[in-house]
Amino acid sequence: MKKNWKRDDLIVRSLADSYLPIALILGFYVILHGNISPGGGFQGGVLAASGVLLLYLGYGFRGIATALNMERMHRLEAIGAIAYVLFAMLGIFAGYNFCRNILWNSGEIGDLWSAGTISLMNYAVGFKVLTGVGFLLLLIINLLSTEPGHEHDGTIPTTELEEGGDAE
Amino acid sequence: MSYNVYNVYMHFPVLAIMTLFVGAFCVTLAGKHEKVRNVIAGCAVLISFTLLALLVKPVMIDGNIITYWMGNWEPVEGYAIGIAIEVDALSLFFGLLITIAVACSCFYSYQYMKQDDARGSYFTLYLMLSGGVLGIVLSGDLFNIYVMLEVMTFAAVGLTAFRTWNPNAREAAFKYLVVGSIGSTCALLGTALVYAQCHTLNLAQISAILPGNLNPTTILAFALLFAGFGCKSFMFPFHPIAADAHGAAPSSVSVLISGVFTKTGVYGIIRVCYFLFRSMGLTSVQTMLVFIGCLSMFVCVTMALNQHDFKRLLAFHSISQIGYILTSLGLCTALGIAGGLYHAINHTLFKGLLFLTAGSVLYATGTTYLEKLGGLARKMPQTTALFLIGAFSISGIPPFNGFYSKWIIYQATFEKAAGGSIGYALVTVVCVVTSVLTLASFIKVGHSVFFGQANPELGNVKDPPLGMRVPMWILATLCVLTGLFPDLMLRYIIGPATAAVLNSVGYIDAAMGAGYAEAHLADPSLLAAPQLISIGAWQPASWLVLFVIVLLAVFLCSLLSRGNSARGLESDAKHAVFFGGERAEYSHISGGDLFWGFKHNLRGYLGFMSRVHTGVTNDYVLWGVTATAVIIAYCFVTM
Repeated sequence: MKKNWKRDDLIVRSLADSYLPIALILGFYVILHGNISPGGGFQGGVLAASGVLLLYLGYGFRGIATALNMERMHRLEAIGAIAYVLFAMLGIFAGYNFCRNILWNSGEIGDLWSAGTISLMNYAVGFKVLTGVGFLLLLIINLLSTEPGHEHDGTIPTTELEEGGDAE
Repeated sequence: MSYNVYNVYMHFPVLAIMTLFVGAFCVTLAGKHEKVRNVIAGCAVLISFTLLALLVKPVMIDGNIITYWMGNWEPVEGYAIGIAIEVDALSLFFGLLITIAVACSCFYSYQYMKQDDARGSYFTLYLMLSGGVLGIVLSGDLFNIYVMLEVMTFAAVGLTAFRTWNPNAREAAFKYLVVGSIGSTCALLGTALVYAQCHTLNLAQISAILPGNLNPTTILAFALLFAGFGCKSFMFPFHPIAADAHGAAPSSVSVLISGVFTKTGVYGIIRVCYFLFRSMGLTSVQTMLVFIGCLSMFVCVTMALNQHDFKRLLAFHSISQIGYILTSLGLCTALGIAGGLYHAINHTLFKGLLFLTAGSVLYATGTTYLEKLGGLARKMPQTTALFLIGAFSISGIPPFNGFYSKWIIYQATFEKAAGGSIGYALVTVVCVVTSVLTLASFIKVGHSVFFGQANPELGNVKDPPLGMRVPMWILATLCVLTGLFPDLMLRYIIGPATAAVLNSVGYIDAAMGAGYAEAHLADPSLLAAPQLISIGAWQPASWLVLFVIVLLAVFLCSLLSRGNSARGLESDAKHAVFFGGERAEYSHISGGDLFWGFKHNLRGYLGFMSRVHTGVTNDYVLWGVTATAVIIAYCFVTM
C-alpha cells in the first residue's frame, strides 16, 4: 500500500450513511417476524450487526470507538443469553416444561404478536446475536487496526493528509 | 421398573445444564470483579452437581428413566417431533462423574489461575465446556448432541490456547481445532445420514427403527458416527493432539480435557453401538472396538515411556486408559461393560488427581520438565502423597480403585477367551503388559520428580496453598473410597449403569410410550439383559488385614535392626569413598535414564514411534482421515 494513499471517504461515507438504517431496519424486521416468516433471531441479528461493519467502512476506527463500547457490548451479549434462558424458564415457573410457550392465546395466527413466549425468546436470540456478532466484528477490526502502518494508539488513519499526518 | 417419575425431578437435568450456561454468561457480566466471578462459577458447578446427585435415588436406585420434552412437545402418533432430554442410569453415571471432576477442578483453579493474566474469560469458557459436556450426556436428541459437541470442542480449543504467550499452546490449539473438526464433520455427516434414513433425530426412536436395517447408507452413517465420537475420545490414530493439548493447557483444564472431554467420546460410542444401531452384537464391531482399544492402550503407554514432560506423559497415559475402557466396552458382555464403566469413573478420578498434582508442581517450580525436577518429596510432602495415591491408582495397586476396574477387565477378557474366542487371551495379555508399563513409567515420574536427589536450583519450593490442596484431597479420597468399597459401587452406581446399557428397550419405551420397542424393533436379539456375574472379586477387608500385618512386620524388623547396623553412617557417607571424602556432587538421574536398558533394547520400536509422531498438523490430519477411511471400509466389508 502506498503511503500517501488517501482514502476518499465521501462516497463510502454517504453510502454507509444511507445503508446503515436500511441494514438495521432489515435486521430488526427479520427478528420481529421470526415467528411468521423465514429467518428469525439469528439471521436478523447477523443482518443488524452488519451495521457495525458499515459504521467502520464509513467512519473508520474512530467512528466506531466513539459510537460503540466493546466492553458494554460484551456484557449486553451475556444479558441476551441470560434473557433467553429466563424466558425459557417461564415454562417451568408456570408448571410446564422448559421452553414451554405460556402465552399461547396471544393473537391470531399470522399476526406479528402471535407466538407468545416464543417471540420473546426469539427477540432475546436476536439481541444476543446482534451484540455477539457485533462484538466479533469489533474484535476483528481491532486486530486490523493493530497491524503495522497504523497509528500507535490503534486507530486507523483514514484522513491522514487532512490531519497533517506523517504522509510523505 | 416403572417409568413414571416424580414431577419435581423431571426438571433437574435441564436445570443442571442451564445452570452451567447461565453461570458462563453471568461470569461475563461480573467483568473485572474476580471474587464475584469465582463465586458465580463455584455456585454454578455446585448447583449442577447437587441437582444431578439428587437424581441418584430415582434413577439409579428406583430404576426410573426421566424423559423430558422441551416445551411439552411430546411424540405424536409414534413420531418424536420435539427435542427430548432423556436421563437413564448411563447418562446419569456420566453426568455425575463429569460434575465431580468439573467441581474439583473449578475450585482448584481459583488459586492456580492467579498466575495468569487476562483471567476474565477463563470461567466463561470453563463453564461453557462443562455445560456442553453435560448437554451431550443428558440429551436425547442426536442433533443436539452434535451441537453440544461443537460447543464443547470450541470451548476446549479456547482453553487450550488460554496461555497465549506460550507458542506451544497456540500450536496445540490449532492442531486440536483442525483434527477435532474431522471428528465433528464425521459426526455431523453421520447424523445427517441417520436423519435421512429415519426421519427423526430422537435417540430413542432411532434406536427402535434402525437396528436390523443395515443398508449401505446406515453402514456409512455408523462408521462416520463411530469415527466422529472416536475422535472426541482421542482413540488411537487421533491421540497425538491430546498429548499436545494437555501439555500446553493449564492443568485445571487438562483435567477437563482428559477426564471429562474424552468421556463424551466413550459415551457417544456406547450410544451409537449399543443403542442407535445395536451393532454391538456383531462380532466385527466387537473386534474393531477391541482392536482399536488395544492399539490405543499399547501405543500410548509406550509413547508415555518416551516422554520427558510430566504433563505430556500423563496425557499419553490418559489415552492408554481410554483404550482400556474401549476394549472393555467392546467385549459386549455384562462384565465387560461394568469393567469399562468402572474404569471410566476411576480414570476421571485418578487422572484428574494426577493432572492437579502436575499443576501443583508447575505452580511451585515453574516447570514440568522431568529432567529439571527432583527431590520434591521433602519440600512438597502432601503433593507427593497425592501423587503416589494417583500413581498407585492408575497402575492398579490393590487398595486403590484402578486395581478393581482393571481386575474386572482382565476377568471379562479372559471370560470371553474361555467362551471360545481364544484371541481374547491375547487381549488380556496386552492389558496386563500395559498395566506393568504404566507402573514403570510412574516409577520413572516419581523418581525424577519427587524422589531422587533434590535439584539445587529448586531452593524454596513448598506445597501449594490450601485452596489447591483441598480439591486434590477430595479426588484422592474418592480414589481410595471407590477402591475400598467396590461392592457398594457395583450395586448402586455401576450395576444400574451397566443394566441401562443393555436395556435399550426400556430407553425406547420411556420416551416413545410402552410397547413401542416391541412393535418397531426389527431385530429382537440382545433384548434379554444378561446377568452381571463376577467370577470372583477381591475382598478389600482381608487385603487390608494382610497389608497391616506385613506393615507391622516390616516396622518391627526395622525397629529391631535399628540398634546394630548403619550406625555412624552419615547420609552421604556411602558415596564418600568415591569422592575422597568430599561432599557428593549433585547428579540427577534423569527420567529418561531410569529404564535405559529397557529402552535400549526396544530402541527400534520406540525410535520408530517417536519418529512417526512428527508434531506436524498435516500428518495428524492424514492419520485421522486414513483412520476414518479404514473404519468405513472395514464396516462395509464386514457388516
